[in-house]
Amino acid sequence: MEVYDYPHFNLQAAICLFTDVKNGPEIRKRIIEAATCQGEEGEALRDAVNFAFVDARLITSILHLQTAVFYALLTQSQGCLRTKTVHSEILWALNPSNNISEAIRRYGISDSTTSLLVIEISVLPSHHDKIKAIVDGTVSPFPRLSEITDWATIKKYHKLNGELAIQHLRDVATAHAMIDEIVVSTVATKSVSQ
Amino acid sequence: MATASLIADSTQIAQGAEAVSDPPSRNTTRKVYKAYIHTSFDSDAKVPILLKHRFKKQYRHPSLDANLTRARVAGEARALLRCLRSGVSVPGIRMVDATEGVLGVEWIEGKSVRMLLGGGAEGEEEQVSDSEEFFDDTTDAGGESVSHVDPLDEYQVTIDEIMGLIGSEIAKMHKADIIHGDLTTSNMIIRHPFAAKGPSPTKLVLIDFGLAYTSTLVEDKAVDLYVLERAFASTHPDSEPMLFAVLEAYKKGMYKDWTTVERRLQDVRLRGRKRSMVG
Repeated sequence: MEVYDYPHFNLQAAICLFTDVKNGPEIRKRIIEAATCQGEEGEALRDAVNFAFVDARLITSILHLQTAVFYALLTQSQGCLRTKTVHSEILWALNPSNNISEAIRRYGISDSTTSLLVIEISVLPSHHDKIKAIVDGTVSPFPRLSEITDWATIKKYHKLNGELAIQHLRDVATAHAMIDEIVVSTVATKSVSQ
Repeated sequence: MATASLIADSTQIAQGAEAVSDPPSRNTTRKVYKAYIHTSFDSDAKVPILLKHRFKKQYRHPSLDANLTRARVAGEARALLRCLRSGVSVPGIRMVDATEGVLGVEWIEGKSVRMLLGGGAEGEEEQVSDSEEFFDDTTDAGGESVSHVDPLDEYQVTIDEIMGLIGSEIAKMHKADIIHGDLTTSNMIIRHPFAAKGPSPTKLVLIDFGLAYTSTLVEDKAVDLYVLERAFASTHPDSEPMLFAVLEAYKKGMYKDWTTVERRLQDVRLRGRKRSMVG
């Protein structure tokens, strides 16, 4: 778990990586339940899962996620969120297309999710225990992310298979660094992409 | 606004060495800053980024100004992304705020080709992110130069190698139909060997895509090369052999597209950058 400070937005972002997550389907069910429930009870349910849950397989580096977080904070501060909350905006920023439900399907938690990145954006993130209460998994340091990343799917989603930048690269590590750079830049330019 | 306060907290970078004594904003269209956007509470590892701010122009109507700024920031960001996807070595993008006119890109530790070739540092477009000691190397060049290390040695490159890199990067860019629009030696940075990232780092990085656009026309590519040729001739003595090396590498990168560009380049050399609209 690491906490990042964004003093210009008066907000902080806590990012936590979980591996060996066992209750993926359960979390998913909880989120859907919270979203559909109404009234005061719904408020309480929503508050308990008020985080962004991102499938760690599709994240190339922590900078990738940070860039999406920054994007979400920026659009929120300008009052032009494309989705309903700053947390869902992170998922939307990660997906190269404009389709919100596709973004959530791809980058959000699914039944097959075993490694998870949980992000909380708030004035003072203090709910380490709250996150850990929801996710049944092992908290892992960020460098472990490189073992989880699913490069083939990322290449497919970002339509990188035919691109010159990685076609000629024989060395796997160089190719991954290149993909990371392209993916991070794609997220950063989200607001001006056609 | 949030981005405005981010800029207020950032350090403006001197653009060129004489900015040490001059007020730092010689360039009248934008200012360049060094900033940190992701500060962790738990570790001290901080990665800087470079912010390029196209500030509000008082002489323009506010709504026109907003539109132009937005379009230019968006254009530059898109050109950079296109370059990245085509394998051209350019800085990665870190944030875009088109409304405020701010573009945040990867911080590149290094020196411009112009400075490495001893062309001085009075360039207005200078966007070099030198640390202090590199700075001193160039500013007091008139002093005891005996104790100074040759910057080329420090960067572990030869002039020939730099020229080869310039040629092949431009070829890659033109093959992807991207025209830089402002190819000069101050818009090319050689990464410092100690700041190199990844297993096989790219040494030469093209920067400043503020005037870039896409075009398939041979004319535009030839003019792009011609602009570089003129920049070389006006900033570096004995530029002919250097240019020859650049074009050799460019030729290799362009394969069969070279002959048409070459023919057009010869035309452009005779008539200049602007095509005559008479007749």
